[in-house]
Amino acid sequence: MQLADPNVNLTIILPEIIIAVVGIVVMLYDCFFPKNRVLTGAVSLIGIGLAGAALAWIWSGTGNVPLTAWGGMVTHDNLRLGFTTVFLVVSALTILISTVWVEQEEVAAGEFHALLLFATFGMMLMAVGNDMVVIFLGLETLSIATYVMAGLRKGDLRSNESAMKYFVLGSLASAFLLYGIALIYGATGSTNITEIAARIADPNFPALLLVGGAMLIVGFGFKIAAVPFHVWTPDVYEGAPATITGFMATGPKAAAFASFTRVFVIGFPFIAGAEAAGYLHQAWISVLAVIAILTMTVGNVAAIMQNNVKRMLAFSSISHAGYTLVGLIGAGFAATTAARDEAVAAVAFYMLTYAVTTLGAFAIITLLAQRNDRRAEFNDFNGIGTHSPVLAFTMALFMLSLLGMPLTAGFIGKVLVFRPALEAGNTLLTVVVVAAVINTAISAYYYLRLIVVMFFKERTTSWTAPQIPAAVTAAIIITVLGVFYLGIFGNGLIEKFSRSVTVAEAQVK
Amino acid sequence: MDLISENLLTILILLPAFGALAVLGHSLYWKDDGHLKWITLGFTVVAFLISLLLLTGTPGSNGFFFEKNIPWIQAIGTNYHVGVDGLSLWLVLLTTFIMPIAVLSSWHAVEKRPAAFYVFLLLLQSAMIGVFVSLDLLVFYLFFEASLVPMFFLIGIWGGENRIYATVKFFIFTAFGSLLMLVGIIALYYLHLEATGAGTFDLLTLLATLEAGKLTFAAPVGTLLFLAFAISFAIKVPVFPFHTWLPDAHTEAPTAGSVILAAVLLKMGTYGLMRFNFPLFPEASRELAPIFIVLAIIGIIYGALVAMVQPDMKRLVAYSSVAHMGFVILGMFSFTEWGMQGALYQMLNHGISTGALFLLVGFIYERRHTRAISEYGGISSVMPLYATFFVFTTMSSIGLPFLNGFVGEFLIMVGMWKSTILSVTDSANWNYIATMAAGTGVIFAAVYLLWMVQRIFFGKLTNEKNRGLKDLTYREIGLMVPLLFLMVYMGVYPKPFLERSRDTVVAIQERVMRQAGGTVDHDEHTAKAK
Repeated sequence: MQLADPNVNLTIILPEIIIAVVGIVVMLYDCFFPKNRVLTGAVSLIGIGLAGAALAWIWSGTGNVPLTAWGGMVTHDNLRLGFTTVFLVVSALTILISTVWVEQEEVAAGEFHALLLFATFGMMLMAVGNDMVVIFLGLETLSIATYVMAGLRKGDLRSNESAMKYFVLGSLASAFLLYGIALIYGATGSTNITEIAARIADPNFPALLLVGGAMLIVGFGFKIAAVPFHVWTPDVYEGAPATITGFMATGPKAAAFASFTRVFVIGFPFIAGAEAAGYLHQAWISVLAVIAILTMTVGNVAAIMQNNVKRMLAFSSISHAGYTLVGLIGAGFAATTAARDEAVAAVAFYMLTYAVTTLGAFAIITLLAQRNDRRAEFNDFNGIGTHSPVLAFTMALFMLSLLGMPLTAGFIGKVLVFRPALEAGNTLLTVVVVAAVINTAISAYYYLRLIVVMFFKERTTSWTAPQIPAAVTAAIIITVLGVFYLGIFGNGLIEKFSRSVTVAEAQVK
Repeated sequence: MDLISENLLTILILLPAFGALAVLGHSLYWKDDGHLKWITLGFTVVAFLISLLLLTGTPGSNGFFFEKNIPWIQAIGTNYHVGVDGLSLWLVLLTTFIMPIAVLSSWHAVEKRPAAFYVFLLLLQSAMIGVFVSLDLLVFYLFFEASLVPMFFLIGIWGGENRIYATVKFFIFTAFGSLLMLVGIIALYYLHLEATGAGTFDLLTLLATLEAGKLTFAAPVGTLLFLAFAISFAIKVPVFPFHTWLPDAHTEAPTAGSVILAAVLLKMGTYGLMRFNFPLFPEASRELAPIFIVLAIIGIIYGALVAMVQPDMKRLVAYSSVAHMGFVILGMFSFTEWGMQGALYQMLNHGISTGALFLLVGFIYERRHTRAISEYGGISSVMPLYATFFVFTTMSSIGLPFLNGFVGEFLIMVGMWKSTILSVTDSANWNYIATMAAGTGVIFAAVYLLWMVQRIFFGKLTNEKNRGLKDLTYREIGLMVPLLFLMVYMGVYPKPFLERSRDTVVAIQERVMRQAGGTVDHDEHTAKAK
């Protein structure tokens, strides 16, 4: 037996290393000097900033970083760049937003910050991993950290329920995923995505591959909360503390999308002339198309009926997973590598717009909902447009961005993910896009409803404007600027995200 | 000066937005609401004066002037491309003209949160101007959608009792339509990409490719794309049966909102049809013209009949809008120069006359806080000046000769009469029937409007509450005079208006009718005048 050269390279995973080390430092520091909330938060933020700088440095090409390393287990391509940016933004914003919750409820901040960093590390592994095993490791690191975070509100029954449900159903999903990985290994003899992509062209196509693919769809479907694997979402999101809900709706979802895209778009491509691979390709595209339509529709229709804002956003996050799937399917259909990179960038960019907007919304909910998220019903928002106009207009802006109004981030995101699907000129995909558009119109109802209650209803109960800590103010300003920046000047970022590896490589030379 | 004329349209779009910032800043810093209306008025008046510079423009080789084309989001392939031509020129001027009037109309009416009110009003103006000058489909869509949000708040916060229902209905109807258009826009991008190797949202590039024959739409595609755009615009106009949001929105909106809604927002629909649907999809336009003509006639007659039985003044005027916009649609789809010029002219007329009617209803509502026709009667004896203005505006709306409404309706009717679009065979004379059917609408208009005038103003003063009504103030007179002046001027001397728009309209008409084998029918009189 011959041993492959593991070509160890630490620089390619420098951002991941930084996050992991900072996570451990924060955890250890908290052991000896507990309850130093500001310090652990600041250290975490610095760590995230350093990781971001490392990522930018790798991407700039000055470091001469190879495209793959560790025996092909990790790769740095535009998918990794785009999604890792999303994760870092999500974590940084979550830390800023969490300050109010951490203060009010005396959360063990050190634990929380360490867990958040470990979760971020897991997410980053999922984007950088080019091997199903690495992806699974990342997923588990992420999931276990998130299970704990959902239950951080120890005295609250709903929070416990949320953590328990998330744990049981999440483990089930992991099991599916692992089974799928095993079956695909059985069919192709490899867990490496690049290898798999090369081997599915084999005319002796084992049906095992199809079953494995189906298992993976179930596993990832759970993680992105696609219908019919979504039933855990509302309860978990409602029960978890609002800050954590915001994190769960954006970070882990984006991470699951990163791996989902990696495995299906890159691992199971359409190969001209290969009948068997074409069959697999057609199968997963059709299945995901149906799932996308279902996800958008069920998410939206259910969101209309909610009376709790957190729950409404939970269902809205389901429908947004549906829109993102439209982009993923479009990427799977892309005819050229350049088109595929653009479509992948669109998915990452959509997750970024969604993350910025949703986290902004959750920041405001955290502020208004007070201890234990008591005031998160629609009624609790009645008439605050008169009393706290700035907060209310900011919230309205986020709602309009989620709806996809022009000049906001949500609009550009939607256009970008719908575009590749229309480009394919395939009837099924066109139907999916039309369904997505109709769903956007439906979603207007519940996003507007929040605006309606904030501005058009009179407030009957008393209102005291919340104290806004500096960190949350910063988070809100960042998200508002982000919504406009991505909506109006998103051009540069989209181009960076869609710059294919070959271009980056060319710049190195 | 060069800087101004080169960026004139951008200035016009941004000026009101800066006005909104000024209002916001002023109210946050000084916490004093007294000056806000003056700031708003100042910005709208300056915008109007600047917009008059548009009249000095001379069209470039492609028919547009004050054009500006700079890359915006290249990843999507969209450019910030603006310009005006004969079609949009008057609509931009109508917008800038009506805005100061709308601001003045709400001089004392806005007590609740005035800062927000003026901010939304100014943002709305930016969006409206943007709609009329965009030559990039995506930028157009962006402004089209953006105009929705301020109006949503204007109705929702400062509207009447049933405002929430009305404003949500308004938003969802229009948003649904425009999303369909978005799909159409993206599809066009890719069709262009397939045909030429480069996708574009630029209207002029698309038209040039179509003209060169490089891009053709297969049988159902052209029709579907036409519908994606047309449904969105038909909702905005509104064409029967998409009209149901309009009476609700109009009735609940504050006076300024109603005036802008009637004068400008509805025109976005008809403008969009002429700007995008006709040139981009000539075949489908011809094919589907009969359907739109039938819907227009239904709208004219149905709108009139429903208007007749309305007990509420504002609702009556709202339904009359449905009828009037039916005329505009009819004229446009006749695809004759007369009809299309008439349609454009009628857009302006409707903006002025119906805008004025909403103002007048607002005046009396501010005094008595009711719009029920039955509450009034014989008030011409206590408000003679008001009665005079009202009757005058009514006459303009009915289409009395020498007033603006007549010119537009006459041109539309002649255009429809001469239209060849409905003649499937030589023996069928559907165009005559269509014209006659639409003509009854003019009679109905006289019936419902005059009947309302009679019930409000004439007879004995029966309701004691009306005895103390004060006649119009100087502010209100000042508001009405420019409108009344235009009604007369446009009725007596339409030439300068029609001349400016002629080339653009004829170009669109020729484009639609050329491949039809239909005759391109020019109005010889205006041809000579040119």
